[in-house]
Amino acid sequence: MIKKLLVLLIVLATAWVGLLAIAELPPYGMPDNPVHNQVSERYINDALEETRAMNMVTAIVLDYRAYDTMFETIVLFTAALAVVITLKTDKKELGDGEEEGGR
Amino acid sequence: MKTLLEKLIVNYPYFFAMVLFSIGVMTVLTRSNLFKKLLGINIMGSAGYILFIAAGNIRGGTDPILHQSDPGTVYVNPLPSALMLTGIVVSVSVTAFALSLIIRLYKEYGTTDARRIARMRNEVTKSDSSDRG
Repeated sequence: MIKKLLVLLIVLATAWVGLLAIAELPPYGMPDNPVHNQVSERYINDALEETRAMNMVTAIVLDYRAYDTMFETIVLFTAALAVVITLKTDKKELGDGEEEGGR
Repeated sequence: MKTLLEKLIVNYPYFFAMVLFSIGVMTVLTRSNLFKKLLGINIMGSAGYILFIAAGNIRGGTDPILHQSDPGTVYVNPLPSALMLTGIVVSVSVTAFALSLIIRLYKEYGTTDARRIARMRNEVTKSDSSDRG
């Protein structure tokens, strides 16, 4: 219980620092925020001419940042491989144990 | 103090993202069940997604799909949505791998409680050292 209170205090202190940072961010939802710079302007204005995609998110994911998407599939493949290896060795060991038990 | 509160009310999506992140950190630090720890990590990830998507939003803007009938529409920033798609894929991969590790741990120790697993490991190492002694 004391440990939980200590953790709560630490988390609240961290959250307080985060809230101080959030208060200094540019106001939410304004069109002249620094997030909406020339990069997103280029995507919004030229995506149709450059990629022939109606959906700008699709244009970014599959055309402007196609390498990102390609190596993302490698991340997914590696994760699937790791899951299969982790669970497969377990089954094999279990099978060996059963064989030894059978003998 | 009042100005800080006013700024937080203006930036309320970021505020909720911070609250969600704190909930995730609390879950990871206080729960001993490994599944709940993993849930806390996923909640922290969702807070990050909310922060980024909210940063790309514009009040009164439409979704970034071209509407040719209306040339004067304001579109929200499509870049954070595309980047968060990548983040979600990484999060799913990490979750899948962590779940498989938890299944291995459960088969090894018969429990998903991190404290109990640590106690069992301690007992094993103690008995090992006493055997050597």
